[in-house]
Amino acid sequence: MVIDEPRRRLHPLSPLLRSAKALVVIVVALSWQTLGQVGIGWFALMVLVLLVGAIIMSVVSWYNTGYHVVGHELRVYEGLLWRRTRAIPLERLQSVEVVRPLLAQLTGLAELRLEVVGGGKTEAPLAYLSLADAAALRDRLLAIAGRPVAPADGATEVAGVAPVRVPGDGPLLLAVQNRDLVISQLLTPQALSLPIGVAFVVLQFGFDPSWSFIGVASTLTAIAGVLLQPVRRILSDWNFRLSRDDTALRLRFGLVETRSQTVPVDRVQGVTATWPLLWRSQGWLRLTLDVAGVAGQDNGNGNETDRLLPVGTADVAERVAASVLPGVVLGALTFQPPPERTRWFHPLARPKLGVALTDKIVATREGLLTRTVMMVPFARIQSVRVVQGPLQRLLGVATVYADTARGRSAALRDRDLAEAWWLAAELAERGRVARLAAPDRGPVVVPAPALDPGTAPLPST
Amino acid sequence: MDIAAAGPTSPLEPWPDTVDWQPVSRDLIWVELIRWGAMAAMLLVPLGILWGIFGLWPLGLAFGAVLVLMLWRFWSIFRAVRAWGYAERDHDLLVRHGLVVRRLSIVPYARMQFVDVSAGPLERVFDLATVQLHTAAAASDARVPGLRPAEASRLRDRLTALGEDRAEGL
Repeated sequence: MVIDEPRRRLHPLSPLLRSAKALVVIVVALSWQTLGQVGIGWFALMVLVLLVGAIIMSVVSWYNTGYHVVGHELRVYEGLLWRRTRAIPLERLQSVEVVRPLLAQLTGLAELRLEVVGGGKTEAPLAYLSLADAAALRDRLLAIAGRPVAPADGATEVAGVAPVRVPGDGPLLLAVQNRDLVISQLLTPQALSLPIGVAFVVLQFGFDPSWSFIGVASTLTAIAGVLLQPVRRILSDWNFRLSRDDTALRLRFGLVETRSQTVPVDRVQGVTATWPLLWRSQGWLRLTLDVAGVAGQDNGNGNETDRLLPVGTADVAERVAASVLPGVVLGALTFQPPPERTRWFHPLARPKLGVALTDKIVATREGLLTRTVMMVPFARIQSVRVVQGPLQRLLGVATVYADTARGRSAALRDRDLAEAWWLAAELAERGRVARLAAPDRGPVVVPAPALDPGTAPLPST
Repeated sequence: MDIAAAGPTSPLEPWPDTVDWQPVSRDLIWVELIRWGAMAAMLLVPLGILWGIFGLWPLGLAFGAVLVLMLWRFWSIFRAVRAWGYAERDHDLLVRHGLVVRRLSIVPYARMQFVDVSAGPLERVFDLATVQLHTAAAASDARVPGLRPAEASRLRDRLTALGEDRAEGL
């Protein structure tokens, strides 16, 4: 029986916080120009009127917003004129994030963000809850999400009465030194280009005094724009802490805006390791996590996936990778490069390309200067494709793709045709076996056959 | 595991060919011919008129190039339609297509999120429909055009039934 628990409201302070956000928008929208035209008095009045309007709107919106958990769903109600009710099936929950912008930190509030499969953007940000409420709701949602769907005989459990596994903060796995983080971001092309940019400006100004102020200002703005990404990375990855209990990863990071993200380990779609060229002297690499539904950071660098390790040595990365993909040893992967005859496709990078299969994952290696290794567990492969272009046909090679729900595909480039067919069959078969063997939700129809690596497992039909 | 050591299959009959491929309807040739014919007309008629009026040789060249391209495309449609094929195996659906760029997709039934059956006006005239399988990965490419409506709904029902049987989380 499902007890209809009462609808709950967001924290009473949330309209104020939202209005504070609106204040910034208002001032920016009115702009300096308006200030110059109407004078400070009128400007203040306009801001005040708009602010009061924003506060009223926020309060009305707060009054009409509510959420509660019904069975395996989180329902969020919104809107006064256009009512909107969203039911978020918690079986599809991919990760939960508690985000605390600066203002929220000062007031002890937090925002709860859910990532669901198929959502292009973050679903149902609940802004704001008190920190304790946010943490409690997060644990509860994760507990419900991790529990198998109740049997269909009507014996639905009461949500929250018996949480099977409430993930707490497990043992600390990793803490990234802020010093390393800053150094790693200084070792980026953007930061290294800074002296050149500054020198350029100084030279221009010295040799050509007629160079206008606007010119200098816009050049400086451009430099600031280039620097924005490393600075933002430093701010967002500050104090990076990773811990893991038996079911979920906990990531905490951020300086101005602190985030605490919880990702169930069985929702990890893949892990990508990147060795930027400039980090090689330090022996550092970066690990990113592919989670379905996490709409990358929409801040201009669209390929940003979720961070798992902003910077670390091979040893640290090894430990982290093994905790996410058990049994995977990053350094022990042996990559098979594509056949010799494809060197015309990749004159320099061919020996660096490669494919490795273990009993759990498929890994691909790419890149001459910035080396990346993408690892996808067999159990997370959504579909397998073999694509052969006209040039590839001339050379008798083909590319195999293992598609994941993150929207990125592991590309096994330019494999010998026979090997490509074999790889495709193998990935499909191992994916099936791994799915059946995984402690996954839903009924298992066929018992998992034993995986015998000795035979070439062709499809049985 | 050593990839190279794993002996693939008989070189005479590599495995995708040993699968029982179902062809799509030959009527798809007509649909494609009309579709490309309309496109060719839309390009060639304005080009031809402009060429006739101004008599500039680059226009004539473009006209000729488009004409050759379209004729080649028409000629290849016959083979392209024959290259489409799908196969329902025990655990996954295989779709292959393409002449210039050859593609084969293997989509496990368990990964299916939803199935689309669509039929445009032109397809309806020739009594055809298209079935498309969607997974959580946007890159998955499992579209089967040129099916008879009866076959399309049979395929849809089979896919959804199998998908339900093997439904899983991600």
